[in-house]
Amino acid sequence: MSTAPRADPVEDYLATLTTSLHGPARAKAAMMREVRDGLVDAVEAQTRFGVPRAQAAHRAVLDFGTADELAPSFQRELTIAQTRRTARVAAVTVPVLVVCRFMVHVVARDPDWRLGALAVHLAAVATASGLLAVTALVATGPLTRLLPTPHRLPSAVAWTASAAAVGMALAAVALGVTSALSTDWPLTAFAGVLAIAAHGVVAASARECRRCVRAGAGCR
Amino acid sequence: MKADAVRGHLDAMLPAVLEPGPLHGYAVITAVQRRSAGALELRTGTVYPALNRLERLGLLRSRRQPVSDRPRRCHELTEAGRRDLAGARSTWREFTAAIDAVLDPTASARRAT
Repeated sequence: MSTAPRADPVEDYLATLTTSLHGPARAKAAMMREVRDGLVDAVEAQTRFGVPRAQAAHRAVLDFGTADELAPSFQRELTIAQTRRTARVAAVTVPVLVVCRFMVHVVARDPDWRLGALAVHLAAVATASGLLAVTALVATGPLTRLLPTPHRLPSAVAWTASAAAVGMALAAVALGVTSALSTDWPLTAFAGVLAIAAHGVVAASARECRRCVRAGAGCR
Repeated sequence: MKADAVRGHLDAMLPAVLEPGPLHGYAVITAVQRRSAGALELRTGTVYPALNRLERLGLLRSRRQPVSDRPRRCHELTEAGRRDLAGARSTWREFTAAIDAVLDPTASARRAT
């Protein structure tokens, strides 16, 4: 009769904590690596005093605190890291949107109200993305030591970025239709491709930011 | 002291144990326990997010470096962290002096003379 191998409490604990956390992959991996190092150190410190390894691992996990108890503090840091990442992504897409708007403006030399409306739409999305990026980066950066980071900021950033991503998708569709009807189609098609790329990057980051906000709410 | 009460003071205690030089996470925990002679009940897991937060605030910086032949993330105080620690110490002394004066007025009157 075979017996199942006994689970390692440290690995079980790390797996539980890792599953409950969401955020930028690199930041999360660095955080988990440090937690693993700390638990391994705690186990080694006890085994040096003759405590059996299994008992030392169990005690190290117990002293560490339950995953439910600690996840909110870890998640808060990851949520802020993801918020900053989303803000940086939005900041990078602003020049892309400005280029798109410029291209539409060049094409719209003829007085076509639809192209004018598209240019206004692009300018609005670029402005929203820029404001979002600056506010989030300042509030979670230089101002952090002076003012506490507003609790709802990650949620505001996640939803504003989601709205900006939808705006970029609409702009991409409009630019695609325009390029099919315009004589200067290479310019508008290029602007459309830029808008699609910007949409992809911002939408992915905003989705992860929403996941972090939900995970943080679930931890409370 | 209960873990919840200790948690509220991590922002001052962690920089204080890092003042002499850089330490990795577990060494920070053992330094706090050693300095408090084991009187502080500390959920060791609370230290790691606190270290991350202090780094985000610019009070600490960290880098991976070998410790006992293993790469570890070591934390050290920044200049802003040293200034903040000096402020935290002075605020704490004023606070404990005020509480002492309320709890034990005769002792504080003796000290004043």
